[in-house]
Amino acid sequence: MQRRFRTVPDLKAHESAEAIAFSDPALAGKLTAMGVRPGTIIEMVRKAPFGQAYYIKVEGIRLALREEEAASIMVEA
Amino acid sequence: MYRVALVGNPNSGKSTVFNQLTGLRQKTGNFPGVTVDVKEGKIQFPGKTEAILTDLPGTYSLYPTSSDERIVASLLTDPKHPRFPDAILYVADAHHLEKHLLLLTQILDLDIPVMFALNMADTAAELGIKVNTAKLSERLGVPVVFVSGRTGENIPKLLADLEKMLTTPPPVSRVESFYAFTETEKQIAEAVRLNLGTENKYRALLIAHHHHWLPFLQAQDRDTLSTIVETKQFQSLRSQVDETLDRYDNFTPLVQENVQQPSVFPNTNTDRIDAILTHRVAGPIIFFGVMLLIFQAIFDLSVYPMDWIDGGFSYLNDALKTNLPAGWLSELLTDGILTGLSGILVFVPQIAILFLLITILEEVGYMSRVVFMFDKTMRRVGMNGRSVIALIGGGACAVPAIMSTRTIGNWQERLITTMVTPFISCSARIPVYLVLIGLAVPAVKIGGFINAQTLVFGAMYALGVIAAFASGWAMKKWLHSREHSFLVIELPEYRIPHWKNVWLTVWEKVSAFVVGAGKIILIVSIGLWGLARFGPGDAVSKAEQQARAEALASGADSTQLHDLLAHHRLEASYAGQMGKFIEPVIRPLGYDWKIGIALLTSFAAREVFTGTLAVLYNMGSAESDISSREETQAKVTMRAKMKNEKFSDNGLPVYTLGSALSLLVFYALAMQCMSTLAVVRRETGSWKWPFFQFMFMGILAYCGAWLVNFLF
Repeated sequence: MQRRFRTVPDLKAHESAEAIAFSDPALAGKLTAMGVRPGTIIEMVRKAPFGQAYYIKVEGIRLALREEEAASIMVEA
Repeated sequence: MYRVALVGNPNSGKSTVFNQLTGLRQKTGNFPGVTVDVKEGKIQFPGKTEAILTDLPGTYSLYPTSSDERIVASLLTDPKHPRFPDAILYVADAHHLEKHLLLLTQILDLDIPVMFALNMADTAAELGIKVNTAKLSERLGVPVVFVSGRTGENIPKLLADLEKMLTTPPPVSRVESFYAFTETEKQIAEAVRLNLGTENKYRALLIAHHHHWLPFLQAQDRDTLSTIVETKQFQSLRSQVDETLDRYDNFTPLVQENVQQPSVFPNTNTDRIDAILTHRVAGPIIFFGVMLLIFQAIFDLSVYPMDWIDGGFSYLNDALKTNLPAGWLSELLTDGILTGLSGILVFVPQIAILFLLITILEEVGYMSRVVFMFDKTMRRVGMNGRSVIALIGGGACAVPAIMSTRTIGNWQERLITTMVTPFISCSARIPVYLVLIGLAVPAVKIGGFINAQTLVFGAMYALGVIAAFASGWAMKKWLHSREHSFLVIELPEYRIPHWKNVWLTVWEKVSAFVVGAGKIILIVSIGLWGLARFGPGDAVSKAEQQARAEALASGADSTQLHDLLAHHRLEASYAGQMGKFIEPVIRPLGYDWKIGIALLTSFAAREVFTGTLAVLYNMGSAESDISSREETQAKVTMRAKMKNEKFSDNGLPVYTLGSALSLLVFYALAMQCMSTLAVVRRETGSWKWPFFQFMFMGILAYCGAWLVNFLF
């Protein structure tokens, strides 16, 4: 069965995708307040040198996220 | 006196505006019960009105996720709070206006007069960003002023408008809120109004959201609110997200209509720099290079001013000693107070240099990249990406390093960093290491190229790092965070540092140390002097008579007499008695009572260890040569004397390979520094943590030293 969504860590470097929803309500509050909302385009910039953190761009704003934070953002497949 | 609160997102340029408005008329205020520092400053308005401006921590919304963000929500929901503002100055970055409007529209619903400062006018214009301020002001229902925190442009206008707002408050003519309450939320707000008398609907809703932690609520109110929330089946987290998205939907058109932005953000310089600075290989290498430079700078540059301070004080000390009548009062002034003062001031160059450099890195925008790169590594051992800076700074001196942990938002991560930083071998341990290694370890080449002494020296540093990481890991297991730790940070655009911010930070750190930790250091220093100067009954005067008799018998010259007097006095003093008293405790580590005395006195500063031993081995006048970093004749003599030391009861040599290595381990691990403890007291706000740190490091050092003495 094909999944209907991916999460941010699935994105390759410089790949962009539209955010659809959040899987963790506690993180959703923080992420929406920082500008990551369903409908915004998320660009994966790069992974942290030692892993488990991501550098993304959302509407011109650069953000650093941890693995679990990034994984809570569902993006279009 | 009016009160104005400065509110805005992190990276909005809030502190720059704060510094523009207050200059040096600022101090760090304490909010009871929180460990976050909030800066306050006085504003002098053109029309002679005065106000206190409170720089609240940066936050993205009134739904906080960390203890410093909570300050904003708890202050603004509590109109009875002594710091509750008469007006709010809201600062936003004109480059990303949309993101900054969320918090603004929340604030607007609280019925507090708001002045909206759109920051960074100069660069926004360059990028082709145009804002229709008149229209924006009309739609938001608040005055909007375009300012530049960097150049000070329009700051006078901001001041004049703010003064007018305070003296003649505008009529409450609010535009329609950017958020429409749901049916449940209306009922909740009404229930809160009936129970707590909170008239403002949004404030009532916020109280319901945050009822489990808001500090001003009574236990009874909390219970009532819990019941309300439960019976209405109010889903706080859900409702927060819905509210945020709703607000965005309502103000986004406003931005589209009134702000002209370039379609693509042209600022790709930041992207180009980040491609290198956060690169998976180059990034960490560059970081360690930068840290090495900082370390070298603290180490090398601070030597000169530190020598001037040392030299100046010892000159003053000698001058006073020769000119004042002999007696304990003069000694209190010289050996007690002056030594204490120089012990405080000697840290100032290191603190100033460290903060100068890290504030520049912070201002430039590099620090958030550091957090991004090292977050994972440091989180394993209970810390945060920013802890790397404190740990590296600890290699020069733990005092400024611990002060630099302020920027760590999560309290537990900051606490662990503070607790483990003193394990890193600081510069004050070097003289102790050098004397002991030279004594115990032969200068042979291992495998033909590595000097055994160098190897042990390196091992001492490694021991410190291992101890820091291991105890960080253990503390993480033991503390279990109560607050969820978030990373989600913004990586701001790179920019040239704002020098006024840099100087003010350096000034603030230096004065915080001198005033905050300085008085503790002075008191302890006087106390230690007293212990080494006075003894029980007439013990000290008897010891002096004995010293004179010995000197007479051996035909000693005046320097030798001076050394003999110092030796006998110290032995008979309370410190000497204590050294003998603790001998049974330290004997298993391989130490005699003389080392015991040195352990006690070196609590003032680790390097005092060698000086005290010098006095006890009758070579007090050569003291200063021993603590220098170079190999001196005095050091050689010192080692010769140490080699001849024997235990008084069984005649066995005191300094064996085991006892010397054991002492090394003890100095690497023990919390032998009152200045660090004083700073930890200041930074954690209680004696509990420095006490814990002292015991924890002491026990670890004792066990480690015992083990080493046992093995070798």
